[in-house]
Amino acid sequence: MATRALLAVVTASPPRMIQIKASTFSSSLKFQRHITTLARSFSSDTNPSVLQPPDVSRLAETARISLTPSEIEECGAKIRQVIDWFGQLQQVDVSSVEPAIRAEMEGGNLREDAPETFENRESIRASIPSFDEVYLKVPKVLNKE
Amino acid sequence: MSTTLFRTIQPNHFTLLTTALLRTRTKTSRHISVRCQTSTTTQQPRTSAPKNHGSNKLDEILKDYEAVIGIETHVQLSTSTKAFCSCPNSYGSHPNTSICPVCMGLPGALPVLSSKVVDFGVRLGLALNCSLSLKSKFDRKQYFYPDLPKGYQISQFDVPIASGGYVDVDIPLEFGGGHRRFGITRVHMEEDAGKLLHSDAGDYSQAMIVDLNRAGVPLLEIVSEPDMRSGVEAAEYGSEMQRIVRYLGVSNGNMQEGSLRCDVNISIRPIGQAEFGTKVEIKNLNAFSAMSRAIDYEITRQALLYNQGQADKIVTETRLWDEGAQKTVTMRKKEGLADYRYFPEPDLPEVILTQEYVDSIRASLPELPEAKRRRYEAMGLGIQDVLFLANDVSVAEYFDEVIGKGADVKSAANWLMSDIAAYLKNEELSISDVKLTPHELAELIAAIKDETISGKIGKQILFELLAKGGTVQGMIKEKDLITDPVEIEKVIMKVISESPKQLEQYRSGKTKLQGFFAGQVMKMSKGKANPALLNKILLEKLNAKE
Repeated sequence: MATRALLAVVTASPPRMIQIKASTFSSSLKFQRHITTLARSFSSDTNPSVLQPPDVSRLAETARISLTPSEIEECGAKIRQVIDWFGQLQQVDVSSVEPAIRAEMEGGNLREDAPETFENRESIRASIPSFDEVYLKVPKVLNKE
Repeated sequence: MSTTLFRTIQPNHFTLLTTALLRTRTKTSRHISVRCQTSTTTQQPRTSAPKNHGSNKLDEILKDYEAVIGIETHVQLSTSTKAFCSCPNSYGSHPNTSICPVCMGLPGALPVLSSKVVDFGVRLGLALNCSLSLKSKFDRKQYFYPDLPKGYQISQFDVPIASGGYVDVDIPLEFGGGHRRFGITRVHMEEDAGKLLHSDAGDYSQAMIVDLNRAGVPLLEIVSEPDMRSGVEAAEYGSEMQRIVRYLGVSNGNMQEGSLRCDVNISIRPIGQAEFGTKVEIKNLNAFSAMSRAIDYEITRQALLYNQGQADKIVTETRLWDEGAQKTVTMRKKEGLADYRYFPEPDLPEVILTQEYVDSIRASLPELPEAKRRRYEAMGLGIQDVLFLANDVSVAEYFDEVIGKGADVKSAANWLMSDIAAYLKNEELSISDVKLTPHELAELIAAIKDETISGKIGKQILFELLAKGGTVQGMIKEKDLITDPVEIEKVIMKVISESPKQLEQYRSGKTKLQGFFAGQVMKMSKGKANPALLNKILLEKLNAKE
């Protein structure tokens, strides 16, 4: 639950204006440099003590988790602590390091385009409480998020 | 669960480049206007407002306002399996039968990318003249909706597989003609959601129903630069996207089936104003003609509000096109932008392309519509013919085969565009079903050209071959055409003897009457006389006596 809330916090940081250079995208190398610029605008950021406090009730709503007011307070403090702890990473000077897209070295691991029927589809369907012979029944939805 | 510390950009990917615009309507975005200028200078200089469906009201509006239109296209790929699992990807299967733990988002399941999806992505990126990212990644786009099993869609947010391309189109003659180039911002890979439908069970339980066969089907999303300026241009862009994906064989590009979906983003601004107006999104477009009409309607609606001093009533929203009422209607408005909380998909590795791989795909690309159009034009065909022949890849292939056998280009084009096209339409067939082979069409054209048969007979033979197949030579034999000079001479002499008056007139100078005699001979022989021989012998006889 805590990690899920943390994820929610981290990914829903306050909005920021992104300066997009009118790069010409004429080669992937230029585009990578563009990504570098983008990434740097995140990483070489404000110092941790100026980080915004988490808006816990909004976070809880986006994660569809209901919290009581006292839980919100409690969570807020704990989340704050975790962020500040991670915030220490901001102090590392990475201006001379090329940003990596991902952590691991190996790419690949692709699948052949050969269809296979999953054997136990019936048990998948059976495990859905609102499954109604052919379709899943769901509550009426008025609006996308 | 990995916790990736990554400050993500809040707005969704489409607004990445236009963040500034949406936040504050009045803020000038110098970056974007520079970009637009660059793209418009490569287009034909416009001397007048773009032509529309002949609506005077619209033309009036376009004297004062400029429409700025961008299109997002989702293409469902015709792969055999879904994007991240091996479930079959086939349209029309019984609901909820093409499912497995991966596409159902069950705990513990892991996605594995299909190599075909990467192949198609590279193919389309190259066809749209994009730069490819040799390294790209997937991200999670998170939101809750009943047709989205995992609670997130696997997509590509900030490092798409292809970006910075363009497409060249020809505007149809009836709308002014001319060439246009429209920029392509990016192409990226993602998965489709399931289908959410209304239950017609008749119970008033306020329920809806979901079919997850489509969840996980691979999509390529194409985002255009906001370079279109009218409904006509937008419709042509859409048609070209359809042509290209069909030419490449990456999708069947069917708007009705949902394998090609276009969403339009449109704003207007007074001519001369550098800042963009407020952008409105239009969804639920099922045909290119609907796209064009929806855009025209929206331009009119927005201009009216501007004229009434109520420009602030234009808000950033999504509107639906109501085909019945022929207008756009507002969906329920929501406050603020969607917060998708993008972060890199931890369950998928980087997508890595080698230069050799890209080069091999580039080498295997077919001739694309634009190249075909230019080649056909260079062969001397008129633009109307060019647009027809290059529109359907099967028709173009058929045409190429026919002229490949040496047939006259203009004749081949004419036959295909008139009689053959009419036949296909009547019988509701496609060119691949027709029994007339390209070889035989070439034969037919040659036979008419060297006057072995008349044009009229040619047409008859064409219809028989279309319906039943067979060969031209066979038909000629069957029709019992008269190729014996002696026989023809007999008929000629008879005709001449029966028309003494015309013979007089001919002999005294009215040489045009040769046509009359030829016609009579044809009539008498029931069209079976060989035209070349006929004319040769006729001329001899007419000029001989006396």
